[in-house]
Amino acid sequence: MISRFTYFKPHNLNEAVQYLEKKEKSFVLAGGTDLMILLRRNLINAEHIVDIKALPETTAFEFIEGAGLTIGASVVVNTVVDSEVVKAKYPALNEAAASLASYQLRNRATVVGNICNASPGADLPPALLVYDAVVNIAGPQGMRQVPLHEFFTGVKRTVLQRGELVVSVQMPEPGEGDKSIYLRQARLRGHDLATVGVASRIKPDGKVAIGICAVAPTPKRLFALEDMINERGLSQETIEWAAEEIREHIRPITDVRSSAQYRLQMASVLLKRGLLALIGKEA
Amino acid sequence: MDNVKDCSMVTEHIESGKRKVTLSLTVNGRQIVRDVDPNMTLLHFLRDNLKLFGTKEACGEGECGACTIIMNGQAVTSCIILAVEAEGAEITTVEGLAEDGKLSILQEEFISQDALQCGFCTPGFLMSTRALLDNNPNPTDAEIVEVLGGNLCRCTGYIPIMLAVRRAAERERKELGR
Amino acid sequence: MDEKKYQSKYKRVGQAYDRKDAREKVTGQAVFTYDMELPGMLHARCLLSPYARARIVSIDTSKAKALPGVRAVLCGEDSDILVGLYMQDKRVLAKGETRYHGDVVAAIAADDEETAERAISLLDVVYEPLQPVHDVDEALRAEILVHDDINELKHYVGVFFPQKDSNIASWNKSKKGDLDMAFEEADLVVENEFSLPAVAHAPMETHVAIVQADPYSNKVRIWSSAQSPFAIRQIMADSFGISESDVEVHIPYVGGGFGGKAGIHLEPLATLLSRAAGGLPVKVRATREQEFNQLPTRAGMRGRIKTGVTKEGKLTGVRAVYDWDSGAYADYGVNVGKTAVYSGIGPYKVDNASIDSKTIYTNKVFSTAYRGFGHLETHWSIERQMDILSQHLQIDPYEFRMMNLLKPGDQTMSGEVITESNGSPSDCLTAVVKEIGWTGRKTEEERQREWKTGKVRGKGFAMLQKAPAMPANTSTSVIMQMNGDGHVKLMIGAVDFGQGAITALAQIAAQELDIPIEHIEISAEIDTRANPYDWNTVASKLIFMGGNAVIKASREMLRKMKEIAAQALRTDPENLLHANGEVYHRHSPERRLTYKQIALGYMYPNGTGIGGPLISSGSSIADGLTNLHPETGQGYPAAVWTFGAHAIEIEVDVETGYVDVLKVASAFDIGQVINEKLVYGQICGGVVQGLGSALLEGYKFNSDEQLMNPSFTDNKIPTMKDIPGKIVPIYIENPQHNGPYGARGVGEHPMISVPSAVGNAVYDALGINFHVLPLSPEAIALGIASGKKSILCTDVDCLPGRH
Repeated sequence: MISRFTYFKPHNLNEAVQYLEKKEKSFVLAGGTDLMILLRRNLINAEHIVDIKALPETTAFEFIEGAGLTIGASVVVNTVVDSEVVKAKYPALNEAAASLASYQLRNRATVVGNICNASPGADLPPALLVYDAVVNIAGPQGMRQVPLHEFFTGVKRTVLQRGELVVSVQMPEPGEGDKSIYLRQARLRGHDLATVGVASRIKPDGKVAIGICAVAPTPKRLFALEDMINERGLSQETIEWAAEEIREHIRPITDVRSSAQYRLQMASVLLKRGLLALIGKEA
Repeated sequence: MDNVKDCSMVTEHIESGKRKVTLSLTVNGRQIVRDVDPNMTLLHFLRDNLKLFGTKEACGEGECGACTIIMNGQAVTSCIILAVEAEGAEITTVEGLAEDGKLSILQEEFISQDALQCGFCTPGFLMSTRALLDNNPNPTDAEIVEVLGGNLCRCTGYIPIMLAVRRAAERERKELGR
Repeated sequence: MDEKKYQSKYKRVGQAYDRKDAREKVTGQAVFTYDMELPGMLHARCLLSPYARARIVSIDTSKAKALPGVRAVLCGEDSDILVGLYMQDKRVLAKGETRYHGDVVAAIAADDEETAERAISLLDVVYEPLQPVHDVDEALRAEILVHDDINELKHYVGVFFPQKDSNIASWNKSKKGDLDMAFEEADLVVENEFSLPAVAHAPMETHVAIVQADPYSNKVRIWSSAQSPFAIRQIMADSFGISESDVEVHIPYVGGGFGGKAGIHLEPLATLLSRAAGGLPVKVRATREQEFNQLPTRAGMRGRIKTGVTKEGKLTGVRAVYDWDSGAYADYGVNVGKTAVYSGIGPYKVDNASIDSKTIYTNKVFSTAYRGFGHLETHWSIERQMDILSQHLQIDPYEFRMMNLLKPGDQTMSGEVITESNGSPSDCLTAVVKEIGWTGRKTEEERQREWKTGKVRGKGFAMLQKAPAMPANTSTSVIMQMNGDGHVKLMIGAVDFGQGAITALAQIAAQELDIPIEHIEISAEIDTRANPYDWNTVASKLIFMGGNAVIKASREMLRKMKEIAAQALRTDPENLLHANGEVYHRHSPERRLTYKQIALGYMYPNGTGIGGPLISSGSSIADGLTNLHPETGQGYPAAVWTFGAHAIEIEVDVETGYVDVLKVASAFDIGQVINEKLVYGQICGGVVQGLGSALLEGYKFNSDEQLMNPSFTDNKIPTMKDIPGKIVPIYIENPQHNGPYGARGVGEHPMISVPSAVGNAVYDALGINFHVLPLSPEAIALGIASGKKSILCTDVDCLPGRH
């Protein structure tokens, strides 16, 4: 690491935002599991590191009946994995969180960090997307909310402007009878980035939501595909049709982790398996 | 000359140094106060500053678990944590496992099950296991694998490690009443 | 994960002692080279070539040199030293031209790592990229030479055969019988191509060396994470033009090797840096990325096998052509290639055969020894070919192999006659086939039925054989000295980097001397000033050769003890026996002395001493080996064969392509178990490493031959989540008559043939023959999707080593 930086650990949000706005080459540190690698590989040149873990707003991990779940920017992934509420109300999020990296890393990596890093293959966004997550952003102009599906703008790029930081992500409470699942394929059973990850959800009204990663420059909600499925009505037949149709809605690339062809095939298999499991049929 | 390329590295050299930060924490029960560079990792702090060489770096990117320590009760990879983030923390390293010169049950079982070969990954495995058993004295095989899955070992094929952890958990419950 | 139940007939040999180095390793006290600090020590960083092949136009070091804390900046212009194990083909720093992405273009030593790294970022290098040699086919066309001085390269003459004006670092050959006739007589001739990518050793401790080069003499002091201290000493002396006694090599604990640390790697660079920095010690440590893309790997290989067989299943002839993509330098790669010519038809009786094995230069990361070298790769080809032949013949693959396995009286590829003392390949195969519950191949109907469930199971097995690949005159030695308390210090120049060798050797000494193993003092840490010579710690030869040397030293020690005791007890040495740390008279056992009483010389009651400190030694040299004939490959290359077999049961997810390994049964005719716990460790570790090669691992290069997966993020190795449901070790103990207690080596063998057994099981499950590794989920799924029954490296768009 050849970056030399000032370490700043603010205790209130205004202080943090002002610092970030004022200082060139400042980076937000929460879990550090992505940032430290960028620093180590000298891929970024940091002059200021702003550790946000002491900001009270970032430590919230709260479920309010009727309102939903809020996950602060300092909340680590294992907190979500261990949460009974998440298991019960947001099973796809629980499964995505449990599949992310290794146990040791999940003790540091944060849910919000997984969003902000904006990796195309991030595991948590597909799950968060199907729960209609909203990102709470603090900035020089105050707070603003951005739906997660509008948050990503490209590979490793987001809507965040200079001086802005994500304080938390929140999602409404799913209704009674809501079902969801996250399935992923990787190169081995051990910790690995997802080759493809698919979150599938069937809402109480029978409508589906599909979130996917590693098949496009950003994690995506497949709204158009959802509409087509909803129009046809959910059935085994529709699911099998959707498993083929999904190929038209994604644009995977070939990289060191997988060929595009395999990603297409896995998107199809994982969607089919996920939806079939949700309607109580084995794949 | 268009096929001749200048290949200097992406990151520019930064001229000015930055101020040290005073860090206080507890390591293996000992109170420590030191001034550290903000860009020093916790792993380097433990090794270079405190001379606790048991904790190893094998990848430096949190992928292998060789640098696993226990920080505030949790197993974490110290190579991707800044030392300054450990302000006020309670840390245990492999050097803190044996008490009063006597090996812990966990260490004894790693020896008797031959859960190590070259030994380079061993401190990381021991610390992951320690954190696991502290939080869950009676883990299932799946729970053991979930936690130790983050530690890479190229020598043992993991099976002897699994045996050692099972046996250590059993003995700790019996002998220490966990 | 069964409880083990091995029973030994000996008191100490065969007992499952804890390893001697374990206590230091579980307390964090074991010191690795990585941990070492020396007074005034500097830290180094390297600038690697950003091109596979490029001309270095200019290097501007002025900014780096001006940085405070920088002590030495080196580039190719500063040294012309060439190194190499068998071919002197590698410059310590690239000069003029770079030959792969890991070539060191410049190196900097500074007060600390951060300064060295910063200084590297201040180097200005201008390159002119050149067209690289991508693969073996391009290399064989020889339009571009990786080493245009190949005709002049100094090499080990008579053993390796570099070809004029080519990219062939060595072309080794063997042949016997009449192949044309054999193919004519055959009822069936089948030809297939198999390939596998380069794979990393991935030791947990990356390569690291510290060197202190005395500025006032030729003295070079080296501390290194390395397997072969005496090879380093000899090559350093040779390359630097100094004497071996000028070179002092210390090996602290080594964090894994697997062959990757068998040769000489960072030591010469650290030496040059230390010299340039006025003699301060310099530590050069590979980052994990450099471990993947700078340090050597296992070579990728392509095997083309043509086999003739009668309709009854008798092999009539085999022609094998092995092309090794050995990368930019020969290193151990030529020896890997040589291995293939005597072992490359598997443990079978074949009267008519030929093997051509070419170690080929390309502009990729170079290759070296890797656990079971030359065997895992060739067995991938041979043991898949055997399975495919049995499919054609519609003969059970077990029966087919049993019909052709080597038996006493048969000859190996190089003409060595097998005897009972070699152990039994068929005992191994029979044992694993029984353990796995083999009842014959799945029928197509069974497959189809299972396919509908989405998961298909399959069983497969494969033979293996291995003999150490080493010079015909390979030797080792031990020194044994008795301490004043009757304990015994044992010193050997070979390295225990985790195999458990020091524990096993201590057991042999304890058995011979009949003292507790705790009374044997032996250290994993080696110092060439004190420890006696050993060639290389490679080839699974340490227990065989080192064990024999320990026996010799022990017996000499006992003889000397008895001579002194005989004087003291006023008898003839022939009347004396030894047991439990005492020498006693066989007729009147009350006449006895403890070892302690004679350790430093016996002292009479009046104070007069006789004898003096007890010291003994033992040497062991490979017995009766010869260089192989350059054209026919006939001769005696193998000090000790170990035969074995794996049988594996898998379950394949037919949609995702994921292969779950349910059970592995592994049998080895190791002659005698020295320490069951350690053997079990070698088997579990080797099998899981083999599964890595089978299912997961492989280098991926881009079109400029840059490694695309130089990290654990993308160069995955198995984790605890990836181990098989069950590993069943089976120890066959047909003794080797010249082995220590009948023992043979087994360190590398558990890895060999694991990929072949998996490939055969995949065929059983899917009815598809894969000819490429790894059998990743992607390869399997796309292989199934292709609808083909044979999957070659051109069939799936996902394989490593391709662009």
